[in-house]
Amino acid sequence: MQTSTTATRGTRDSRRHTPKADMSGVYQRAIRESFVKLDPRIVVRNPVMFIVWVGTIVTLLVTIDPNLFGTVSADAGNQRLLNGLITLILFLTVLFANFAEAVAEGRGKAQADSLRSTRSDTVARKLLPNGSIQEVSSTELRRGDQVQVVAGDMIPADGEVVRGIASVDESAITGESAPVLKQPGTDISSSVTGGTRILSDELIINVTSDPGQGFIDRMIALVEGAERTKTPNEIALTVLLTVLTLVFLIVVATVSPLANYVEAPTTIAILISLLVALIPTTIGGLLSAIGIAGMDRVAQFNVIATSGRAVEACGDVNTLVLDKTGTITLGNRLADEFIPVNGHSVEELAQVALAASVFDETPEGKSIVQLAEREYQAKVGFDRSTAEGVEFSARTRMSGTDLPNGREIRKGAVDAVKGFVRSRGGKIPAEIDEAYARVSRLGGTPLAVCQDGEMYGVIYLKDIVKAGLRERFDQLRRMGVKTIMLTGDNAITASVIAQEAGVDDFIAEATPEDKIDVIRREQNEGKLVAMTGDGTNDAPALAQANVGVAMNSGTQAAKEAANMVDLDSDPTKLIDLVAIGKQLLITRGALTTFSIANDIAKYFAIIPTIFAAAGIGALNIMGLKSPQSAIISALIYNALIIPALIPLALKGVQFRPLTANQLLRRNILIYGVGGVIAPFIAIKLIDLIIPFS
Amino acid sequence: MKNYSSRTEAIESTIAIWSQFRRQKLPLRLFLALCLNLLIAPAVFATTESGLSRSQSYWIGALGLVTVALAIYLFFVMFAPEKF
Repeated sequence: MQTSTTATRGTRDSRRHTPKADMSGVYQRAIRESFVKLDPRIVVRNPVMFIVWVGTIVTLLVTIDPNLFGTVSADAGNQRLLNGLITLILFLTVLFANFAEAVAEGRGKAQADSLRSTRSDTVARKLLPNGSIQEVSSTELRRGDQVQVVAGDMIPADGEVVRGIASVDESAITGESAPVLKQPGTDISSSVTGGTRILSDELIINVTSDPGQGFIDRMIALVEGAERTKTPNEIALTVLLTVLTLVFLIVVATVSPLANYVEAPTTIAILISLLVALIPTTIGGLLSAIGIAGMDRVAQFNVIATSGRAVEACGDVNTLVLDKTGTITLGNRLADEFIPVNGHSVEELAQVALAASVFDETPEGKSIVQLAEREYQAKVGFDRSTAEGVEFSARTRMSGTDLPNGREIRKGAVDAVKGFVRSRGGKIPAEIDEAYARVSRLGGTPLAVCQDGEMYGVIYLKDIVKAGLRERFDQLRRMGVKTIMLTGDNAITASVIAQEAGVDDFIAEATPEDKIDVIRREQNEGKLVAMTGDGTNDAPALAQANVGVAMNSGTQAAKEAANMVDLDSDPTKLIDLVAIGKQLLITRGALTTFSIANDIAKYFAIIPTIFAAAGIGALNIMGLKSPQSAIISALIYNALIIPALIPLALKGVQFRPLTANQLLRRNILIYGVGGVIAPFIAIKLIDLIIPFS
Repeated sequence: MKNYSSRTEAIESTIAIWSQFRRQKLPLRLFLALCLNLLIAPAVFATTESGLSRSQSYWIGALGLVTVALAIYLFFVMFAPEKF
């Protein structure tokens, strides 16, 4: 288990390559921000901390005049010192909570600054309706305008390429240094992002966003937290914390008269200390930091989430719908074997396959050429300049070469090539179906090869399942997440790949419409579904899914429909996102358990000592020196635990692929039992150290 | 995505809490005990001998008002948590 977890972490860490944000000065800024956030208009947004803040004001008043709310029996000087210390610790408690939030926000802001540096105003060449070019500022561009960009230019706004072909450096947003080819009409590579740079040739771009609403603008707003709204989980937790705070407020407010009645009078400062110790200050102080850090962790994986809600939904996902090509298998299928039919030798088949592929620039075509030349020493037996390449089309599902002597060589989908052979008066040998079935059984893609009306054989294109996926799907299964593979392949091929990759279910010969059908079917069963997509035809399914992750290389429609955009265009990252979402929920749950469990020790520290006169002194099981020492020790622990847990809140608790029940047991054991024991030890140690008697 | 207004949500929450109040007896009893405590405490305070000056009485009254204001604020947070 440990090994697989470590392996997963290693994989996730190796995927992090966000454009490096400048993190220097984040902590200095956070310290400054912690004081700014003391403004009551800001503190009031955190109910638990607002109570502590009001308590600080009241204890400050009784520090100035210890007899403000009634004559205290103790020496006024000592009482002032105690009240002053309580005020200081309460003030630090609010400050530490502000610091936790400011650090989390600061990390997001640093990332936003690095993005903002890419979004400088540039001069754009706007195409006017009469065909002339007018130089305007990029901020004057509006949706629907057309601009011309040439090599070396910064792309002035988000848009779709309508003319031209060029390589674009997108490292400013993806951190990936390799340039990306952009061209119109290809669905996948026609969208460009403002702030990226064109490296070669020129493009005519149709602007798709108004100023301030571009992709980078939205990213900046999101990572800065400007558009951050509470997630359903945070709302539920806020209500729980508020209810607890209200209950303790009422209890503490009514304790004083009863304490006086049993002749164990307490001061207002001690009652406020009791209140602060009992309300869930730890989780109250760290709650927003945990949420912000969750968004930050997603951003570190080069994924931009439109809201914290989307990140959190990842943690609740029950079903992953994954495309086979590019997600489960490597995008490029490679030629692995030639299977001759019709009495031809494998060398003859290799020769014809080579001739059919010399003009094929796809990775598959190149791999056929390599296999024929390397394994069977096949040579091109005609003059290329007089031959003509036939491009693959979705309609014919074949590509090939028309030779100078008039012969036609084709390769492609078996039934398409069969049709071609019949149309040229040829006959279909029975062996072709056997070869087709054999390749399918192996999980490969069969490509038939023919010359005019004569069938030569089948090329076995092997689909390579990405390394390590089986283990990751196993982990997802243990967490209760079901994986469904969608593929355009036939059922036999699909079942072999599904078995090899270890997915739970598959849909063969799937059309884009099947995606939305499978998502609806799962949702109707009450499940949350996540999927990836990049094409315009994926947009409805991305919108329908609870978590839709669009590839940055995808179309604008896909990006707008999705609630996350992967800047690296790596569909496998969906699995990481589920892990991050679960980690966010686990972290929040773990710290809430810890915070509430802490109350038990604080109760045993404070109550028996301050009400010792009422005969409950025996409950002082920690043997704390005095009521003053007990209160100060509990409050110091209460304040210090917040900064102590900031690293855990920002990094998240260690993620383990366990079932919900196993996670619950583990969290109760570590953070529940630990949350009870830790403060007992810490409060006792503080009590021994501080010089109160 | 349905776009509920916060007012509608508050009304729906109130109805949901009220319907649960009628079914769940233990939370209701606990809540009533807390409220009873609020009634008993001032009575107990009044019967206990205390030598408070006039200014101290005013300060305690002000603190009571602050406590009530905080309780109202916490109730408001409970009914409209998305605003916080």
